[in-house]
Amino acid sequence: MRAFLLGCFAILVVGAAGYFVLDALQQPSGAAYTTDGARIDPSWSWRQTATAAQPCEPRRVWQWIFVDFRHPNGEPRICADSQ
Amino acid sequence: MATAYARIRLILAAIGLLLVVAAPVAAQQPNSVNPTASAVKEQQLLQQNYRIQGLGSIPDVKSYVIEQPMGRTWRLFHEVWLHWFGAIIILGVIAVLLVFYLMRGLIRIDGGRSGRMIPRFNSLERVTHWMTAVSFVILGVTGLNITFGKDLLLPLIGPDAFSRWSIMAKYAHNYSSFPFMLGVIILFVLWVKESIFTAVDIRWFMEGGGMFGHKHPAAWKFNGGQKVQFWGAALGTIGVAGSGLFLLFPFYFTDIYGMQIAQMVHALIAMLFVGLIFAHIYIGSLGMEGGFEGMATGEVDLNWAKQHHLLWLEQELGQGRTAAPPAGATTRPAS
Repeated sequence: MRAFLLGCFAILVVGAAGYFVLDALQQPSGAAYTTDGARIDPSWSWRQTATAAQPCEPRRVWQWIFVDFRHPNGEPRICADSQ
Repeated sequence: MATAYARIRLILAAIGLLLVVAAPVAAQQPNSVNPTASAVKEQQLLQQNYRIQGLGSIPDVKSYVIEQPMGRTWRLFHEVWLHWFGAIIILGVIAVLLVFYLMRGLIRIDGGRSGRMIPRFNSLERVTHWMTAVSFVILGVTGLNITFGKDLLLPLIGPDAFSRWSIMAKYAHNYSSFPFMLGVIILFVLWVKESIFTAVDIRWFMEGGGMFGHKHPAAWKFNGGQKVQFWGAALGTIGVAGSGLFLLFPFYFTDIYGMQIAQMVHALIAMLFVGLIFAHIYIGSLGMEGGFEGMATGEVDLNWAKQHHLLWLEQELGQGRTAAPPAGATTRPAS
């Protein structure tokens, strides 16, 4: 049982290290899938057209890890639906 | 009668007039656009496996791709073929294991437990094994969600819950890949020396590995089946980790065509890997008495070791390792 729990703990530690690696190396999907050199705002999304008056706060990666779908005060609910 | 002849003459005259008018029109057809021929050309164009590419002036070369017909094939693979392949592999392995269990039942320790235990796996081996195993389960469940979740889970829990679960699953898949890869690398280094096939394994396979009947062929620390599992897991990890890194870093190493190939390789190998691990989990738990203890406590019963890994046991005892009774256990002599 102790080996199993230590193994699970090791997953959390190495997974967290993986988070930092990916956070440093990966691009946000909006940027990764946007054509380089084109004059398109990489952070553009359909949400911003729907909430032009009150733009959404970009979510941090940890919020996705912990499935944190809270939205700041005043931010439209649509911002918490998907990024 | 005369009226009938008059009608026939009228019909023949109408047909003749139609032929006279239609003939020049038909003769003009080759010079006009033939829609059928165009459709054939378009179809040939769409069947190009790679891409239809134009010219561009911005730095991003991948933007020059105007149309990517391979995307249709990839979608067909992802939405249809992979479902069938995965279902056949997973349900097939489960069916084979079920039939085997019903025929063979639990493989018991023939002489019963001796009550004397011998160390089999040290702490590093067990912690690494469980780190790899739990990571694999997370990867398997979250990966299968990508393929089958839309069909199996979405109707049960609804779109909102499925969306949130899938987002969480996607991140869990990405992050648990790191401990899994690390675990396989460590286990490879720890066990590769004992996982090289020898003549003993040929005899083990020829005797069916003791799976049928009650004769148990001798084996070193790992028998032929475990070595197949080891090399299957090693090669499978190279396949899924290599292709997975392509997907984890989109467009870093390849273009969209390469990423589609990487996804197909990733999914196919992962399905086979899941089937392999099902068999591993079965034989390490439900299928064999005493087998799980090696990874749970690090020690196995002496009679279990004698039955399944005789050569290894003799080697261990020859090196002075003792088979001690566990604390508080009633001891029966080893048969």
